[in-house]
Amino acid sequence: MVEGQAEAGIGPAVATPRRNGAPARGRSAVRTARRLLIYLPLLPSLFAFIVLLGYPVLLAVLISLQKMGLRELVQRTTVWIGLQNYAAILADPTFWAVAVRTLAFTAVNVGLTMLVGTVVALLLGALGRWLRLALSISLVLAWATPALTASVIFQWLFDSKFGVVNWALTSIGIFGDFTNHSWFATGLSTFGVISLLIVWQAVPFVAFSLRAGILSIPTEQYEAARVDGASDRAIFRRITLPSLLPLILILTFLSAIWDFKVFTQIWTVRQGGPAGETVTLAIYAYLKGITGAQYGLASAVAVVMVVLLAFVLIPYIRTMLRTQDDL
Amino acid sequence: MPRRLRRIAINALGVATILAFAFPVYWMASTAFKQPGDIQTYVPKFVPFPPTLDNFTTAVTRPYFPDYLRNSLVISISTVLLALVVGLLAAMAIARARFRGRKSFLLLVVVAQMAPFEALLIPMYLVLRQANLLNQIPALILTYFIFTLPFTIWALRGFIAGIPADLEEAAMVDGANRFQAFWHVVLPLLAPGLVATSIFAFITAWNEFLYAYVLMRDTANFTLPVWLATFRTAFGTDWGGTMAASTLFTLPVLVFFLLIQNRMVGGLTAGSVKG
Amino acid sequence: MKLKQTLAFGLAAVLGVAACTTAPAASAPAATGAQSAAPTTAASAEARTLTVWLMNGSASDDLIKQLNTEFEAAHPGVTVKYEVQQWNGIVSRLNGALAAPEPPDVVETGNTQTANYAAAGALMDVTDKRADLGGGTSADSTSADEAWLGGLNDSSIWDGKLYAVPFYAGNRIVIYNKDQFTAAGIDPASITSKAALIDAAKKLQTANKSIADYSGLYIPGQNWYALMSFIEDHGGHIAVNEGGTWKGTLDSAEAQAGIQDYVDYFKAGSTGPADNDEANPEQATVMAAGKAGMMIANLWELGYTESKDAAIKGKLAVFAIPSSTAGKKAPVFLGGSNLGIAAGSNNQDLAIDWVKLLTGEKYQKLMIAAGNVPNSKNLAATATSENANLAVAAGAAAAGSFVTPQDPRWASVESGANPLKDMLTKVLTGKASIADAAKAADDEIAARMNVAQ
Repeated sequence: MVEGQAEAGIGPAVATPRRNGAPARGRSAVRTARRLLIYLPLLPSLFAFIVLLGYPVLLAVLISLQKMGLRELVQRTTVWIGLQNYAAILADPTFWAVAVRTLAFTAVNVGLTMLVGTVVALLLGALGRWLRLALSISLVLAWATPALTASVIFQWLFDSKFGVVNWALTSIGIFGDFTNHSWFATGLSTFGVISLLIVWQAVPFVAFSLRAGILSIPTEQYEAARVDGASDRAIFRRITLPSLLPLILILTFLSAIWDFKVFTQIWTVRQGGPAGETVTLAIYAYLKGITGAQYGLASAVAVVMVVLLAFVLIPYIRTMLRTQDDL
Repeated sequence: MPRRLRRIAINALGVATILAFAFPVYWMASTAFKQPGDIQTYVPKFVPFPPTLDNFTTAVTRPYFPDYLRNSLVISISTVLLALVVGLLAAMAIARARFRGRKSFLLLVVVAQMAPFEALLIPMYLVLRQANLLNQIPALILTYFIFTLPFTIWALRGFIAGIPADLEEAAMVDGANRFQAFWHVVLPLLAPGLVATSIFAFITAWNEFLYAYVLMRDTANFTLPVWLATFRTAFGTDWGGTMAASTLFTLPVLVFFLLIQNRMVGGLTAGSVKG
Repeated sequence: MKLKQTLAFGLAAVLGVAACTTAPAASAPAATGAQSAAPTTAASAEARTLTVWLMNGSASDDLIKQLNTEFEAAHPGVTVKYEVQQWNGIVSRLNGALAAPEPPDVVETGNTQTANYAAAGALMDVTDKRADLGGGTSADSTSADEAWLGGLNDSSIWDGKLYAVPFYAGNRIVIYNKDQFTAAGIDPASITSKAALIDAAKKLQTANKSIADYSGLYIPGQNWYALMSFIEDHGGHIAVNEGGTWKGTLDSAEAQAGIQDYVDYFKAGSTGPADNDEANPEQATVMAAGKAGMMIANLWELGYTESKDAAIKGKLAVFAIPSSTAGKKAPVFLGGSNLGIAAGSNNQDLAIDWVKLLTGEKYQKLMIAAGNVPNSKNLAATATSENANLAVAAGAAAAGSFVTPQDPRWASVESGANPLKDMLTKVLTGKASIADAAKAADDEIAARMNVAQ
């Protein structure tokens, strides 16, 4: 019968003939075998998580309670200083500015990505066959370009002397003269370029995902709505959006994590400059840690980063777990 | 808005969007083919004419380039295979079975994605130093593997959830054991999902720079991202070389993407849309 | 089946590529075969590998190849694994490499970064080998018994002990285009003041109007080495140590005057980018294309510029950077490198021999020929009598030189985002006044240099 299976919880109920008189030993052996079948496949990843992720994370926490510089790293000595690193961080006004900046930067990028991604997803649906194909290919091109390469390209595009952007803007005329305009002279402008770069690469994933989502909405709903005379905008608001909500939540969640941690693009473009105005928490940790060789402090920053991110995302996780009943 | 005007507006928007997304990549590739004198010009030259392959020659004749290429390929492919095997096992268990700790494990997977990897460099360094793995290629494989495992498990779980369990059950009723059911029924359906998920693992390993740069001592153990970095020295940037190198660097990823692009989003959308 | 094929392909690819790993890497400049064995006496002929890291641009490949051949002949069984490192990101790379169980045996460190590694205990203490290594018998750079150049000697000493061996030095001068000078009727010997330099720049600008994107004096927005010269010229400094605490002094009146000098030079018509340094674009390229009449650069950049374009060969010469005070030369930053032996190295005996060879007379003379100032006072004196350009450079250094703050923490100011560069860009793009930008840079420098040790 389903007894053994239901206990182990494998798969939906399927009737198997009960073996009357089967010895109790045999049944519990089956149960153990079934349990093994579930837990055994989990072992490799559990092992990997504990050894390769859990242990380093534990080390990171421990290091955050030490004073660790190049000397301690080379001579393998341990200097415990308790919560001093955390105190130093929280007392550093730069840290708070960086934290706020990171959150704002993440919010802007996620917002732009989702917005543009939605528009592009709709565009994919509205275009004719050939344009749709061309758009899909161009999206894939942007998506496939490695972040490092994309950063270099955008730097080159926005170069003050030889960049295409300055030339294009000057040629169009209505924006004024952009010859030799430096896009990397202020933090805001530099962030603008970096945001453009990040959004450019992030939109394809969101657009394709949303499009797939839209395609899986049953057409009967649309037909019924049109029969009732609903406008395009109403259809979008009342049918498309609500159906896509779980997907949008997941995409926002993923984008938030990725954009919060983003490092390569910011570092490649101006290493957190000019004058530290594009330093985010990830860059801050790197500057303190890797280049400044204050490894204890950098670890503390990393811990704070994760705590901050988890804190911001808890409502999201809760909502996600609720709206997806198979999770 | 009259239909015809609307169509024109949409098409115009479409063309503008296509240009916006494709142009930077085009610019990279076209710069790679330009003569040195045509690269740093005030009026951009949109078509490299006359084209030259010199930049590509410079790029691939860089010292140690064969080493970089070999290392990147070995590391990236190994990372993908390792992540897929381990991740698939876990994903199968999570997607198909109900057990105590299932939600906790899933939460662990979600939280693991929040780890800021650049900040874990020194702890990883210490762990690898203890294990005597510094300056060894497997160190990078293991590192990239753990970076990509959480997302691999999550995505594969989604793909598997999109395959009805009835199919397996039907096969088992027909006499197949669990393993055979998996191999002959589920795996073929899962194939696109596996390939799509592997792309994330691949590009993570393919693009990673910092760990390769700090954990490897010998130049012969470096990977392609370090090679890319050598075109921008403290003395100047070889833009032609950089763009040629970048183009070559992007090519495998691009090909990979083009082949599987339409399958990639399946895992996340499966079961997500309230229909 | 698609999946099976994919898996099979993947496996085959990995195996196939792994098979290629047995083939020797084609383009490595030095052999990579021999593994380092247990450290016993150097006299044994067992196979050992000596790993040497030098920086990009320091010594030519030919010079090192010749040296390695000689070294390997004198040490049978030893192979030198020589690798060139990039300056960008070298601090993080060296930190990781020197703390590893098998560090590179010999490393080149910039003289501004040596203290960082010495203080951390990453370099071998060679105080008792000073004489053997060619440093004379005294550690005091002002003493006649100290054989190395003062600035380099000081940068190799930490806490009273010697941790590195001076390799070579260099300082900046003005490289100019002789033809353009003649055409514009300028006599380089007459440029002995800031006013004269600006005047010459403007004259060149007018004479070469027809050349697109031309600069009489090419100076980018972030050449902080040149900036340091101007600041020191007025008696200012970047930072001073007041009883153990570092204080940035860029906002002093003297330093601000130096910053103003920089602005004046930039505005004399330089087409360099305000938000980038002398590497982006490479100023040697600009000079080689004939688009600059003068540039402030290291002497070795002269040969480098000539290598970029045959047309410029033989057309370049040098003179010292003038002071803002007429008739004097501006003090110059004494750059250079030292060679350190890793404290964790298993081949310290071999490493010492290798370093002795490169810092010995024979190879130092080859370094001189390449345009570098050698590491010893004697050689520097004789070198200048043979090489006119080198004489100019050495003369400038002799007239007045300085180094960056001697502190391990200075390395973190230079790496990553450099506050001096940021300050310059802010001023040149009009985003901040000199006083405000200097104050901000001061705060940043103090923050980085007062980290608890």
